[in-house]
Amino acid sequence: MATTTAAITLTSADLLTDALSLSATNTLYKAGSTVGLDQTTGMARVHLTATTVVDIFPQLIEASIAFENKSSWVYICNKSEDETEFITVKICEQVIGKLYAGDFLWMPWSMRESANANNHHGDITVAPSVDTGMSIEFTCINEGTEYPTENLATT
Amino acid sequence: MATTTATITLSSLDLLSDELALTTTSTLTNAGGATGVTQASGLSRKTLTYDSDAEIIHTALHRAGDYAADKANKVYIKNTSTTPAEFFIIKVGDESLGRLYAGDWAFFPWSATSGTKETFVVTATGTVAVGESWEFDGITTISASTALNTFAAAVSAQVYPNWTTTVSSAAVTFVARYAASDGVITGDTAITGDVLVESGDGNFTMPITGGTAGAGASSQSDISILPSVRTGMTYETMLIHE
Repeated sequence: MATTTAAITLTSADLLTDALSLSATNTLYKAGSTVGLDQTTGMARVHLTATTVVDIFPQLIEASIAFENKSSWVYICNKSEDETEFITVKICEQVIGKLYAGDFLWMPWSMRESANANNHHGDITVAPSVDTGMSIEFTCINEGTEYPTENLATT
Repeated sequence: MATTTATITLSSLDLLSDELALTTTSTLTNAGGATGVTQASGLSRKTLTYDSDAEIIHTALHRAGDYAADKANKVYIKNTSTTPAEFFIIKVGDESLGRLYAGDWAFFPWSATSGTKETFVVTATGTVAVGESWEFDGITTISASTALNTFAAAVSAQVYPNWTTTVSSAAVTFVARYAASDGVITGDTAITGDVLVESGDGNFTMPITGGTAGAGASSQSDISILPSVRTGMTYETMLIHE
Protein backbone atom coordinates (compact mmCIF):
# COMPACT_ATOMS: atom_id res chain seq x y z
CA MET A 1 0.00 0.00 0.00
CA ALA A 2 1.14 3.51 -0.73
CA THR A 3 1.63 6.24 1.82
CA THR A 4 0.50 9.62 0.59
CA THR A 5 0.17 12.65 2.80
CA ALA A 6 -1.50 16.00 2.35
CA ALA A 7 -0.42 18.89 4.52
CA ILE A 8 -1.65 22.44 4.78
CA THR A 9 -0.25 25.44 6.54
CA LEU A 10 -2.20 28.65 7.00
CA THR A 11 -0.12 31.52 8.30
CA SER A 12 -0.55 35.21 8.91
CA ALA A 13 1.08 37.64 11.26
CA ASP A 14 -1.54 40.32 10.81
CA LEU A 15 -4.89 38.84 9.78
CA LEU A 16 -5.84 38.60 13.44
CA THR A 17 -4.48 40.19 16.59
CA ASP A 18 -2.97 36.82 17.37
CA ALA A 19 -0.67 35.15 14.86
CA LEU A 20 -2.31 32.55 12.66
CA SER A 21 -0.20 29.44 12.38
CA LEU A 22 -2.39 26.49 11.52
CA SER A 23 -1.01 23.20 10.29
CA ALA A 24 -2.73 19.94 9.48
CA THR A 25 -1.45 16.76 7.90
CA ASN A 26 -3.40 13.68 6.95
CA THR A 27 -2.53 10.40 5.34
CA LEU A 28 -4.82 9.49 2.46
CA TYR A 29 -6.65 6.27 3.24
CA LYS A 30 -9.34 4.25 1.55
CA ALA A 31 -12.80 4.99 2.94
CA GLY A 32 -13.17 3.98 6.56
CA SER A 33 -9.82 2.21 6.77
CA THR A 34 -6.13 2.72 7.33
CA VAL A 35 -5.19 1.31 3.93
CA GLY A 36 -3.48 3.92 1.83
CA LEU A 37 -4.89 5.18 -1.44
CA ASP A 38 -3.01 3.64 -4.34
CA GLN A 39 -4.39 5.17 -7.52
CA THR A 40 -4.21 8.56 -9.16
CA THR A 41 -4.99 10.27 -12.42
CA GLY A 42 -1.57 11.85 -12.29
CA MET A 43 -1.01 15.57 -12.33
CA ALA A 44 -2.47 17.21 -15.40
CA ARG A 45 -1.65 20.65 -16.70
CA VAL A 46 -3.91 22.12 -19.33
CA HIS A 47 -4.07 25.42 -21.17
CA LEU A 48 -7.67 26.45 -21.72
CA THR A 49 -8.45 28.98 -24.43
CA ALA A 50 -12.21 29.18 -24.09
CA THR A 51 -14.55 30.06 -21.24
CA THR A 52 -16.48 26.86 -21.80
CA VAL A 53 -17.31 24.75 -18.76
CA VAL A 54 -15.21 21.59 -18.94
CA ASP A 55 -15.36 18.33 -17.01
CA ILE A 56 -11.81 17.79 -15.76
CA PHE A 57 -12.23 14.12 -14.82
CA PRO A 58 -14.47 12.72 -17.55
CA GLN A 59 -12.77 9.34 -17.43
CA LEU A 60 -13.70 8.65 -13.84
CA ILE A 61 -17.43 8.38 -13.64
CA GLU A 62 -19.42 8.98 -16.79
CA ALA A 63 -22.55 6.85 -16.59
CA SER A 64 -21.13 4.80 -13.76
CA ILE A 65 -20.77 5.51 -10.11
CA ALA A 66 -18.81 2.48 -9.00
CA PHE A 67 -16.72 4.59 -6.69
CA GLU A 68 -19.49 6.71 -5.23
CA ASN A 69 -18.82 7.61 -1.61
CA LYS A 70 -15.35 6.15 -1.74
CA SER A 71 -12.25 8.09 -0.85
CA SER A 72 -11.23 10.48 -3.61
CA TRP A 73 -9.23 13.67 -3.25
CA VAL A 74 -9.05 16.50 -5.72
CA TYR A 75 -6.37 19.15 -6.13
CA ILE A 76 -6.89 22.05 -8.53
CA CYS A 77 -4.62 25.05 -8.95
CA ASN A 78 -5.05 28.11 -11.12
CA LYS A 79 -1.59 28.75 -12.51
CA SER A 80 -2.44 32.15 -13.95
CA GLU A 81 -0.29 35.06 -12.82
CA ASP A 82 -2.90 37.68 -13.72
CA GLU A 83 -4.70 38.54 -10.49
CA THR A 84 -7.96 39.29 -12.32
CA GLU A 85 -8.17 35.86 -13.91
CA PHE A 86 -10.09 33.10 -12.19
CA ILE A 87 -11.64 29.73 -12.79
CA THR A 88 -15.09 28.91 -11.50
CA VAL A 89 -15.18 25.47 -9.93
CA LYS A 90 -18.44 23.57 -9.80
CA ILE A 91 -19.63 20.20 -8.64
CA CYS A 92 -22.63 19.06 -10.66
CA GLU A 93 -24.18 22.45 -11.37
CA GLN A 94 -23.36 23.84 -7.93
CA VAL A 95 -20.75 26.58 -7.89
CA ILE A 96 -18.22 25.89 -5.15
CA GLY A 97 -16.12 28.97 -5.64
CA LYS A 98 -13.58 30.83 -7.72
CA LEU A 99 -9.87 30.15 -7.80
CA TYR A 100 -7.98 33.32 -8.62
CA ALA A 101 -4.41 33.44 -9.86
CA GLY A 102 -2.28 31.12 -7.76
CA ASP A 103 -5.18 29.80 -5.68
CA PHE A 104 -5.61 26.09 -5.07
CA LEU A 105 -8.19 23.79 -3.56
CA TRP A 106 -7.96 20.42 -1.86
CA MET A 107 -11.20 18.66 -1.22
CA PRO A 108 -12.79 15.24 -0.93
CA TRP A 109 -15.02 14.07 -3.74
CA SER A 110 -17.95 11.73 -3.27
CA MET A 111 -18.63 11.24 -6.98
CA ARG A 112 -22.28 11.26 -6.08
CA GLU A 113 -25.22 11.62 -8.40
CA SER A 114 -26.44 15.19 -8.46
CA ALA A 115 -29.05 16.01 -5.86
CA ASN A 116 -30.99 17.67 -8.64
CA ALA A 117 -31.18 14.57 -10.84
CA ASN A 118 -29.66 16.42 -13.74
CA ASN A 119 -27.44 13.57 -14.90
CA HIS A 120 -24.23 15.27 -13.81
CA HIS A 121 -22.95 12.29 -11.80
CA GLY A 122 -20.98 14.51 -9.47
CA ASP A 123 -18.85 15.98 -12.23
CA ILE A 124 -16.24 18.49 -11.17
CA THR A 125 -16.00 21.22 -13.75
CA VAL A 126 -14.01 24.39 -14.26
CA ALA A 127 -14.63 27.43 -16.41
CA PRO A 128 -11.93 30.02 -17.12
CA SER A 129 -12.90 33.67 -16.82
CA VAL A 130 -11.12 34.59 -20.05
CA ASP A 131 -10.53 32.96 -23.41
CA THR A 132 -7.02 34.32 -23.83
CA GLY A 133 -5.46 31.24 -22.31
CA MET A 134 -5.33 30.09 -18.73
CA SER A 135 -3.32 27.20 -17.33
CA ILE A 136 -4.57 25.00 -14.56
CA GLU A 137 -3.20 21.95 -12.84
CA PHE A 138 -5.29 19.22 -11.32
CA THR A 139 -5.09 15.70 -10.02
CA CYS A 140 -7.27 13.14 -8.33
CA ILE A 141 -5.92 10.61 -5.84
CA ASN A 142 -8.46 7.90 -5.24
CA GLU A 143 -9.45 4.32 -4.54
CA GLY A 144 -10.16 3.34 -8.10
CA THR A 145 -11.01 4.40 -11.59
CA GLU A 146 -13.72 3.00 -13.79
CA TYR A 147 -13.02 3.83 -17.37
CA PRO A 148 -15.66 4.11 -20.10
CA THR A 149 -16.02 1.01 -22.20
CA GLU A 150 -14.93 0.92 -25.81
CA ASN A 151 -17.03 3.06 -28.11
CA LEU A 152 -18.29 0.71 -30.84
CA ALA A 153 -20.49 3.19 -32.65
CA THR A 154 -20.00 3.08 -36.42
CA THR A 155 -19.05 6.23 -38.25
CA MET B 1 -3.90 44.95 4.55
CA ALA B 2 -3.13 41.54 5.96
CA THR B 3 -0.83 38.96 4.42
CA THR B 4 -2.17 35.44 4.73
CA THR B 5 -0.66 32.45 3.00
CA ALA B 6 -1.90 28.95 2.42
CA THR B 7 0.57 26.22 1.57
CA ILE B 8 -0.31 22.70 0.50
CA THR B 9 2.15 19.86 0.32
CA LEU B 10 1.28 16.55 -1.32
CA SER B 11 3.92 13.91 -0.93
CA SER B 12 4.42 10.23 -1.51
CA LEU B 13 7.38 8.02 -2.20
CA ASP B 14 5.40 5.04 -3.41
CA LEU B 15 2.09 6.16 -4.92
CA LEU B 16 3.83 6.29 -8.29
CA SER B 17 7.14 5.10 -9.65
CA ASP B 18 8.22 8.70 -9.47
CA GLU B 19 8.15 10.62 -6.21
CA LEU B 20 5.18 12.90 -5.57
CA ALA B 21 6.44 16.10 -3.99
CA LEU B 22 4.12 18.98 -4.73
CA THR B 23 4.16 22.23 -2.82
CA THR B 24 1.99 25.19 -3.71
CA THR B 25 1.75 28.43 -1.78
CA SER B 26 -0.99 30.96 -2.33
CA THR B 27 -1.33 34.41 -0.84
CA LEU B 28 -4.98 34.96 -0.07
CA THR B 29 -6.17 38.12 -1.76
CA ASN B 30 -9.46 39.80 -2.46
CA ALA B 31 -11.21 38.85 -5.68
CA GLY B 32 -9.44 40.17 -8.74
CA GLY B 33 -6.83 42.16 -6.88
CA ALA B 34 -3.61 42.04 -4.90
CA THR B 35 -5.08 43.29 -1.65
CA GLY B 36 -4.90 40.70 1.09
CA VAL B 37 -8.09 39.40 2.64
CA THR B 38 -8.73 41.04 5.97
CA GLN B 39 -11.50 39.08 7.63
CA ALA B 40 -11.77 35.65 9.20
CA SER B 41 -14.22 33.73 11.28
CA GLY B 42 -11.46 32.47 13.51
CA LEU B 43 -10.75 28.79 13.97
CA SER B 44 -13.71 27.16 15.68
CA ARG B 45 -14.07 23.68 17.11
CA LYS B 46 -17.30 21.90 17.93
CA THR B 47 -18.45 18.42 18.87
CA LEU B 48 -21.75 17.23 17.45
CA THR B 49 -23.61 14.72 19.60
CA TYR B 50 -27.13 13.41 19.19
CA ASP B 51 -29.38 11.22 21.31
CA SER B 52 -30.30 8.94 18.42
CA ASP B 53 -29.33 8.26 14.82
CA ALA B 54 -32.65 9.67 13.70
CA GLU B 55 -31.71 13.05 15.14
CA ILE B 56 -28.52 13.42 13.11
CA ILE B 57 -29.00 16.38 10.81
CA HIS B 58 -26.91 18.58 8.58
CA THR B 59 -25.34 21.39 10.56
CA ALA B 60 -24.70 24.67 8.80
CA LEU B 61 -21.09 25.77 9.24
CA HIS B 62 -21.16 28.88 7.09
CA ARG B 63 -24.33 30.54 5.80
CA ALA B 64 -24.03 32.26 2.45
CA GLY B 65 -26.37 35.04 3.51
CA ASP B 66 -23.88 36.22 6.11
CA TYR B 67 -21.16 37.00 3.57
CA ALA B 68 -20.70 38.92 0.36
CA ALA B 69 -21.35 36.70 -2.63
CA ASP B 70 -18.85 35.88 -5.33
CA LYS B 71 -15.77 36.92 -3.40
CA ALA B 72 -12.46 35.16 -2.83
CA ASN B 73 -13.56 33.39 0.34
CA LYS B 74 -11.70 30.29 1.54
CA VAL B 75 -12.98 27.55 3.82
CA TYR B 76 -10.95 25.17 5.97
CA ILE B 77 -12.64 22.15 7.57
CA LYS B 78 -11.06 19.29 9.50
CA ASN B 79 -12.48 16.12 11.01
CA THR B 80 -10.56 15.68 14.27
CA SER B 81 -11.84 12.15 14.89
CA THR B 82 -9.28 9.40 15.36
CA THR B 83 -11.66 6.56 14.50
CA PRO B 84 -11.01 5.62 10.85
CA ALA B 85 -14.63 4.76 10.09
CA GLU B 86 -16.04 8.08 11.25
CA PHE B 87 -16.67 10.74 8.63
CA PHE B 88 -18.42 14.02 7.96
CA ILE B 89 -20.27 14.55 4.69
CA ILE B 90 -19.61 18.07 3.42
CA LYS B 91 -22.27 19.73 1.34
CA VAL B 92 -22.36 23.01 -0.58
CA GLY B 93 -25.99 23.87 -1.07
CA ASP B 94 -27.74 20.65 -2.01
CA GLU B 95 -24.69 18.98 -3.49
CA SER B 96 -22.38 16.64 -1.62
CA LEU B 97 -18.70 17.47 -2.04
CA GLY B 98 -17.30 14.47 -0.27
CA ARG B 99 -16.47 12.78 2.99
CA LEU B 100 -13.90 13.83 5.53
CA TYR B 101 -12.72 10.75 7.38
CA ALA B 102 -10.72 10.81 10.61
CA GLY B 103 -7.98 13.39 10.42
CA ASP B 104 -8.92 14.58 6.95
CA TRP B 105 -9.03 18.26 6.10
CA ALA B 106 -10.25 20.29 3.14
CA PHE B 107 -9.48 23.77 1.88
CA PHE B 108 -11.54 25.24 -0.92
CA PRO B 109 -12.92 28.49 -2.31
CA TRP B 110 -16.48 29.51 -1.57
CA SER B 111 -18.64 31.81 -3.64
CA ALA B 112 -21.26 32.20 -0.88
CA THR B 113 -24.10 32.62 -3.31
CA SER B 114 -27.18 33.23 -1.21
CA GLY B 115 -30.84 32.75 -1.94
CA THR B 116 -33.62 35.24 -1.22
CA LYS B 117 -34.68 36.30 2.24
CA GLU B 118 -38.40 36.30 2.82
CA THR B 119 -39.96 39.68 3.67
CA PHE B 120 -43.36 41.11 4.52
CA VAL B 121 -44.87 44.21 6.11
CA VAL B 122 -47.29 44.24 9.01
CA THR B 123 -49.12 47.48 9.78
CA ALA B 124 -50.79 48.44 13.04
CA THR B 125 -54.26 49.56 11.93
CA GLY B 126 -57.42 50.86 13.56
CA THR B 127 -57.46 51.64 17.26
CA VAL B 128 -55.08 49.89 19.61
CA ALA B 129 -55.89 49.56 23.28
CA VAL B 130 -53.53 49.04 26.18
CA GLY B 131 -53.08 45.30 26.71
CA GLU B 132 -53.80 44.23 23.14
CA SER B 133 -50.99 42.24 21.61
CA TRP B 134 -49.46 40.68 18.52
CA GLU B 135 -47.33 37.56 18.54
CA PHE B 136 -44.95 36.30 15.88
CA ASP B 137 -41.90 34.00 15.84
CA GLY B 138 -42.47 33.22 19.50
CA ILE B 139 -42.32 36.87 20.54
CA THR B 140 -45.34 38.68 21.98
CA THR B 141 -45.61 42.45 22.03
CA ILE B 142 -48.22 43.90 24.40
CA SER B 143 -49.34 47.44 23.77
CA ALA B 144 -48.56 49.89 26.55
CA SER B 145 -50.27 52.82 24.86
CA THR B 146 -53.06 53.72 22.47
CA ALA B 147 -50.75 55.09 19.79
CA LEU B 148 -50.42 52.86 16.71
CA ASN B 149 -46.97 54.15 15.88
CA THR B 150 -45.79 53.47 19.42
CA PHE B 151 -47.08 49.91 19.22
CA ALA B 152 -45.42 49.40 15.85
CA ALA B 153 -42.17 50.69 17.28
CA ALA B 154 -42.50 48.25 20.16
CA VAL B 155 -43.07 45.38 17.74
CA SER B 156 -40.00 46.39 15.79
CA ALA B 157 -37.87 46.77 18.91
CA GLN B 158 -38.30 43.11 19.83
CA VAL B 159 -35.53 40.64 19.06
CA TYR B 160 -36.92 37.86 16.85
CA PRO B 161 -35.02 34.58 16.53
CA ASN B 162 -35.45 34.35 12.78
CA TRP B 163 -36.22 37.87 11.61
CA THR B 164 -34.88 41.39 11.58
CA THR B 165 -37.17 44.42 11.51
CA THR B 166 -37.39 48.07 10.60
CA VAL B 167 -40.26 50.44 11.36
CA SER B 168 -41.77 53.39 9.55
CA SER B 169 -44.74 55.04 11.28
CA ALA B 170 -47.14 52.15 11.96
CA ALA B 171 -45.60 49.74 9.45
CA VAL B 172 -43.03 47.15 10.46
CA THR B 173 -41.00 45.40 7.77
CA PHE B 174 -39.84 41.91 8.62
CA VAL B 175 -36.89 40.32 6.78
CA ALA B 176 -35.82 36.75 7.42
CA ARG B 177 -32.33 36.36 8.85
CA TYR B 178 -31.58 33.55 6.39
CA ALA B 179 -32.64 32.79 2.87
CA ALA B 180 -35.13 29.95 2.65
CA SER B 181 -38.11 28.74 0.71
CA ASP B 182 -41.38 27.51 2.19
CA GLY B 183 -41.48 30.32 4.73
CA VAL B 184 -44.39 32.00 6.47
CA ILE B 185 -45.90 33.89 3.53
CA THR B 186 -49.08 32.17 2.43
CA GLY B 187 -50.52 34.82 0.13
CA ASP B 188 -50.55 38.51 -0.65
CA THR B 189 -52.15 39.40 2.67
CA ALA B 190 -51.42 36.55 4.99
CA ILE B 191 -48.64 34.76 6.83
CA THR B 192 -48.62 31.80 9.16
CA GLY B 193 -47.73 31.99 12.79
CA ASP B 194 -48.95 35.43 13.79
CA VAL B 195 -51.51 35.80 16.58
CA LEU B 196 -53.46 38.96 17.26
CA VAL B 197 -55.05 39.35 20.69
CA GLU B 198 -57.61 42.08 20.41
CA SER B 199 -59.94 43.39 23.13
CA GLY B 200 -63.07 42.35 21.30
CA ASP B 201 -64.28 45.53 19.73
CA GLY B 202 -62.71 44.57 16.41
CA ASN B 203 -61.03 47.91 15.96
CA PHE B 204 -57.43 46.71 16.04
CA THR B 205 -55.86 44.71 13.23
CA MET B 206 -52.36 43.91 11.99
CA PRO B 207 -52.82 43.35 8.25
CA ILE B 208 -50.03 41.92 6.13
CA THR B 209 -48.85 43.44 2.87
CA GLY B 210 -45.99 42.68 0.55
CA GLY B 211 -47.33 39.23 -0.02
CA THR B 212 -46.02 36.65 -2.39
CA ALA B 213 -43.58 39.09 -3.94
CA GLY B 214 -41.62 38.76 -0.73
CA ALA B 215 -41.34 34.98 -0.82
CA GLY B 216 -37.92 33.54 -0.20
CA ALA B 217 -35.70 31.09 -2.02
CA SER B 218 -33.30 28.59 -0.55
CA SER B 219 -29.68 29.52 -0.22
CA GLN B 220 -27.64 28.08 -3.05
CA SER B 221 -24.43 27.50 -1.21
CA ASP B 222 -24.60 27.21 2.54
CA ILE B 223 -21.82 24.91 3.73
CA SER B 224 -23.05 22.14 5.97
CA ILE B 225 -21.74 18.90 7.43
CA LEU B 226 -23.36 15.64 8.49
CA PRO B 227 -21.60 13.36 10.98
CA SER B 228 -21.68 9.62 10.38
CA VAL B 229 -22.29 8.74 14.03
CA ARG B 230 -24.27 10.33 16.83
CA THR B 231 -21.80 9.61 19.61
CA GLY B 232 -19.77 12.74 19.30
CA MET B 233 -17.68 13.86 16.37
CA THR B 234 -15.60 17.00 16.45
CA TYR B 235 -14.82 19.32 13.59
CA GLU B 236 -12.72 22.40 13.20
CA THR B 237 -13.44 25.10 10.66
CA MET B 238 -12.25 28.52 9.65
CA LEU B 239 -13.52 30.92 7.04
CA ILE B 240 -11.20 33.53 5.60
CA HIS B 241 -13.22 36.05 3.63
CA GLU B 242 -13.53 39.51 2.17
